[in-house]
Amino acid sequence: MSTSNTCVYLCSGCGIGNAVSMDGLKNVVESEFKKSCTIHDYLCGDEGLGLIRSDIVKGINQMVVAACSPRAMADRFRFNGVQVIRANLREQVVWSHPENEEDTQMMAEDNVRMAVTEAGKSTAPEPQLEGDNSEVIMVVGGGHSGLTAAYEAAKTGYDVLLVERATHLGGMARKWSKRMPTDPPYKNPQPNTVENLIESVSNDPRITVKMGCTVAKTSGMPGRFIVDFSDGSSQTVGAVVVATGWRPYDAGKLNHLGYGISSDVVTNVELEEMLTEGRIARPSDGKIPEVVVFVQCAGSRDRDHLPYCSSVCCGVSIKQALQLREAHPDVMIYIIYEELRTPGVAEEFYRTSQRAGVIFLKGKVQKIDSSLGITVQDAFLQQEVPLKGVEMVVLATGMVPNSTNIDKEAQFLDEEKLKLLNSDVNHYAPIKVAGAAAEPITLSAETLPAGESILNLQYRQGPHLPMLAHGFPDSHYICFPYETRRSGVYVAGPVRRPMDMGEAAEDATGAAMKAIQAIRAAARGIALHPRAGDLSIPHINLNPCTKCRRCTVECPFGAIDETEQGFPSVNATRCRRCGTCMGACPVRTISFTNYTVDMIGSMIKAVHIPDEMEEKPRILALVCENDAYPALDMVGIARLSFSAYVRIIPVRCLGSVNLLLVSDALSVGYDGVILMGCKPGDDYQCHFMKGSGIAQERLSKVSETLKSMALEAERVLMAEVSIADSAALPKVIQSFVKVLESVGPNPFKGF
Amino acid sequence: MTYISPLPTRKYDLSFARWVHRHIDGGDRLAMCMQCGVCSGSCPLGTTMDNGPRKTFMMIRAGMKDEVLQSDTLWNCVSCYNCVVRCPRDVPVAYILHELATVAVREGYAQARTAETNKFVKGFTWSYKIFGRTDERLVSLFYYFQDGFASGLKKLLAFRHIALGFLKVGRLPFGMPHSLRHRRELRKILTAATKIEAQPAKGGR
Repeated sequence: MSTSNTCVYLCSGCGIGNAVSMDGLKNVVESEFKKSCTIHDYLCGDEGLGLIRSDIVKGINQMVVAACSPRAMADRFRFNGVQVIRANLREQVVWSHPENEEDTQMMAEDNVRMAVTEAGKSTAPEPQLEGDNSEVIMVVGGGHSGLTAAYEAAKTGYDVLLVERATHLGGMARKWSKRMPTDPPYKNPQPNTVENLIESVSNDPRITVKMGCTVAKTSGMPGRFIVDFSDGSSQTVGAVVVATGWRPYDAGKLNHLGYGISSDVVTNVELEEMLTEGRIARPSDGKIPEVVVFVQCAGSRDRDHLPYCSSVCCGVSIKQALQLREAHPDVMIYIIYEELRTPGVAEEFYRTSQRAGVIFLKGKVQKIDSSLGITVQDAFLQQEVPLKGVEMVVLATGMVPNSTNIDKEAQFLDEEKLKLLNSDVNHYAPIKVAGAAAEPITLSAETLPAGESILNLQYRQGPHLPMLAHGFPDSHYICFPYETRRSGVYVAGPVRRPMDMGEAAEDATGAAMKAIQAIRAAARGIALHPRAGDLSIPHINLNPCTKCRRCTVECPFGAIDETEQGFPSVNATRCRRCGTCMGACPVRTISFTNYTVDMIGSMIKAVHIPDEMEEKPRILALVCENDAYPALDMVGIARLSFSAYVRIIPVRCLGSVNLLLVSDALSVGYDGVILMGCKPGDDYQCHFMKGSGIAQERLSKVSETLKSMALEAERVLMAEVSIADSAALPKVIQSFVKVLESVGPNPFKGF
Repeated sequence: MTYISPLPTRKYDLSFARWVHRHIDGGDRLAMCMQCGVCSGSCPLGTTMDNGPRKTFMMIRAGMKDEVLQSDTLWNCVSCYNCVVRCPRDVPVAYILHELATVAVREGYAQARTAETNKFVKGFTWSYKIFGRTDERLVSLFYYFQDGFASGLKKLLAFRHIALGFLKVGRLPFGMPHSLRHRRELRKILTAATKIEAQPAKGGR
């Protein structure tokens, strides 16, 4: 470790100098830490930065900037080869607390103390580059999404390997006669362009197509995945896009809707095949049907079948109705829907069909008998309506994701891996079904979807991509679409969520872009989002390691494998630098060069704890840097105020909080500890997917630790904070302060 | 009853809906109705109607002709045109209700004979046909005494406070009703209008 030459800069601009005594802060740095200290009234201005640069020339390689929030001016305070540590004086001290008060001054001084302590325990990380990287993107699935991903990736200059299990490209999209509109004025069905796409992909010199082939095994990490194929070949690829698409829901399970009872009940996929052939005839006698009924939500949004909405079936039925009308203008078409879902511009499409005279009935089909007599519970007329004289029924069935290859047997998994995987396959995600069920649906079977894993990942956490119920891959759905919980593996198209061809093309393009990002990040040794650009890597000192395997089990991204001896081994480019392993380790042997349990522990101890007589409690807030910390900044920006007894330390994720820190804090005299992080659970907002959930689970066991210290359980609180919660945060903090007041001061003070 | 429009025989028989589509002014826009209910929701009398416009339109589609033409929805419309202004699909709701009311009259539905609004309209029509103007006193009297002398007297007495109030502030004039100078011209217009009405409309506005 190179020795640090540290300088501290105090900025008195933005009202900091008016609210706190800068000399007091300077005194803290110089007398307590013996570091050189400079005060400037406009540090991020050219003059202030010039001052810093002249010091860099003199040889400083680490600096503490006590000014605004680390989230502000990050680009101004970035200097090559110099580690910058920020102390937040502006948003979280002077903007959110009264000027020139003793408590505000104490808070500012403690913030400076914590930052200078942090500097002493932290060194700038070096990039770790090992092995040769591949820049090839492997796309699994040669349907519309896969073709688009391959085409778009090749267009940016990357080589693509396209793997398709069938012997032809095009997938489901090849069966479609026309597609839903994606171009203005969005009023009529558009020609299916998948054949053109197949041609451009086949002719692209950058794209290698492997047909009739599946992935047998994938090992390695982003930048160097080693992929074995079913034909015995092997290749190293940089990133993977999974676009395995979907299959229609098994209509054989829909006997109550007449499928299998009458041959004139067909699915929308079967009708689409008729339309593609150009011969519309009902199966029983080959007659052109004069009255056609479309039944929406056939086996969808239904407790007993697919509980979710596939979002495209309404549009598909409208498209098929228009095509039927075009082929035979006299055909009568009824569409029986529960809720007609025509998102976005599909509304225009809906209007076209209304204008064309398609009749829409809102209601739920109760029964379809063998002579096509339909009983509808009509929602508008509020009565049961019999429909007679129907000549063909089309069931609009939903989409099932191809998250496994159902053509092949599932791999054998030992019991432990199976258990681990099942804990990832979330069967308890509550899905509310509008109009179908008042209670959220929970599935009871704890099993993986049938079939072979698509990538067969050779990861310690098993071969599958972690999935939600119904086989959709788990990801931070809103912030990071295309993402999976395996770095460098991206999903696109209907395997991610039900979608139409237009959406799938956008999805595939996005996933191709993410794959390129993964390859580039791997080459530079930097992290993917949300800590994009981070160079630090968890370092595991194996001497104290007890092989407890918590880090390998808890890593949300499966980044840590186990060696044959049972020791953890980090796969650098799989790592997203959340620090969940660091929080998990019971012997504190996992650390980053700029983020360690010892570092946070020292920061906690750097705060001056007033003794009991002063009646100034101290509360430690360990705050998630993704959402909760910016929300606290916004409290200051909005000039709201929160208790000045709180000392705030940002953490990478609540998952990186080692419980030893909580007991450390209480033993040095803090009256309480509050952990602020993202929402855990099924509808999580955690940026590392499982981090805050793991923190919550760990914290549920903290009361035993508190009991052994003869402390009250109320002293530790975990608060769910979203980025929009800034207005409510002061109240959350205030109520915690009140609780601590009623509990009384920490008896460990002064020890 | 003398049916002009077809009477559907089963649910979702579209014969009546198609007739409305073709013969009712604005009826062709009915196909665009997406049952959002903005019309019934914005109707100041929506709560007093048995069905309201949204359901009426669905019933037309469902082939429930008798129920539609017997409903009081057609007669409770006060022509505020809230529904017409607010309809996201440009369905001329109030116009369609008025025309359906006319159909109910022509086909002799009972509701048309007993609806108070229809009785009032009769007085209104009587007045403008004679004078070319509506004389409020005469229209009211016509409306009151339509069902016989006894019920007319009863209604008259029930409204006497209002009448006396008007009298006090000089809003109830005595003397002959005002009449139009060119009554013959008006009669010509009305004759022409009756002729046009008798012709089957060709859909569309």
